[in-house]
Amino acid sequence: MPAETHVGRSPIGPDEVLRMIRERLSEILEIDEARITLDSDFTADLDADSLALIELVEALEEELGERTVGFSIDDEDLADLHTVRDAVDYVVHRLGDEH
Amino acid sequence: MPITVAVDAMGGDHAPSEIVAGAALAAAELDVRVLLVGPEDVTAASLPGSAEGVELVHASQVIAMHDPAAAVRTKKDSSVVVAAELVRDGKADAMVSAGNTGAAMAAALLRMGRIRGVARPAIAVPVPVPGHGPQILVDGGATVDCAPEWLVQFAVMGREYARVRLGVAQPRIGLLSNGEESGKGDELRKAVYPMLAELDGFVGNVEGRDFMHPTVDVIVTDGFTGNIALKTVEGAIRGTAELVFSTLTSTPELEAASAAAMPALLEAAGELDPDNVGGCTLLGVDGVCVISHGSSKARALRNSVARAVECVESSVVARVAQAVADAG
Repeated sequence: MPAETHVGRSPIGPDEVLRMIRERLSEILEIDEARITLDSDFTADLDADSLALIELVEALEEELGERTVGFSIDDEDLADLHTVRDAVDYVVHRLGDEH
Repeated sequence: MPITVAVDAMGGDHAPSEIVAGAALAAAELDVRVLLVGPEDVTAASLPGSAEGVELVHASQVIAMHDPAAAVRTKKDSSVVVAAELVRDGKADAMVSAGNTGAAMAAALLRMGRIRGVARPAIAVPVPVPGHGPQILVDGGATVDCAPEWLVQFAVMGREYARVRLGVAQPRIGLLSNGEESGKGDELRKAVYPMLAELDGFVGNVEGRDFMHPTVDVIVTDGFTGNIALKTVEGAIRGTAELVFSTLTSTPELEAASAAAMPALLEAAGELDPDNVGGCTLLGVDGVCVISHGSSKARALRNSVARAVECVESSVVARVAQAVADAG
């Protein structure tokens, strides 16, 4: 069943979530998107500090919130997101919960 | 039209009473309109009768000093977040907070946004230099773990800020290290030295003893060592002042002998008082955010508002943005 959306767009899959994360993260960290892969560790590979991750979370909530009703990321879960893959899996899972 | 400054009424060890008093003092002594942000019942009760130039803006929540920076996400109606939103929405020209530094930074960063091209924000701290204008320490604690490129950007932002703040056309920049020689330092400093050597104004490494001394106008370092150095300087000032004044009052003879010099000594000590220096400026965000120290009382808060006004009047954000863009 497709996600309930504000504007009736198609469901958001892992590839699109990855695209969003890479795009937003490259803006926040001022680095080339090519540096950001699924296996990138936020801290060890991308030098992302806690403030940068908060920026990322806010950006994702803003972008996904426009498309999926009630989408949010729990702050308690942030500590478990170490890599880009973790974040993609988490967001996709949360999007599923919102359906 | 006076400049409008949003003041986080609930931030600081002495909030809200001293912050509210400082806001009223600023409105009385400066050509400024103050928006006092906090729970309206609290701010209204703290505000003296008719504080002309002060308007109350309601915010229902408070971020405590011990809360993590991420509290700005869960407390979206907190005084510090609402203050940042007033700047974002053009209802205020600047914000001032004496509260949780991490939360003030996060609120400014998330609501005002970052200057394009800036990788990380940095806190510019004015450090008093006796008989001289202050020197600027960048970073005072915003970004703890730094890449070499970020320190170069701190130097660029700090240099432009020093031009505005100190009125020095070509500020001298030093890299804080454990020795003056170019090879001194940890991996970060060894990596950044040759990069900084390309920057106009860079004079090489400086040491801890160059604080409060007119060797350089800007001291660049990461937020971790910068914050430690800053607190060390503050502790040394306090300890020295206590030693001098306790010695001079230790016997009736010494007290009588120093009586004539005491007013001048107290005035000199005032030059080193953080309350008189004004707040620190958050560089790299797309708006003016002045962070006053946590123990700010009314006079310190008033001086931080004055600093915010100066930042707006001198277009410091636009100048830093241009400097970052020019540096590529």
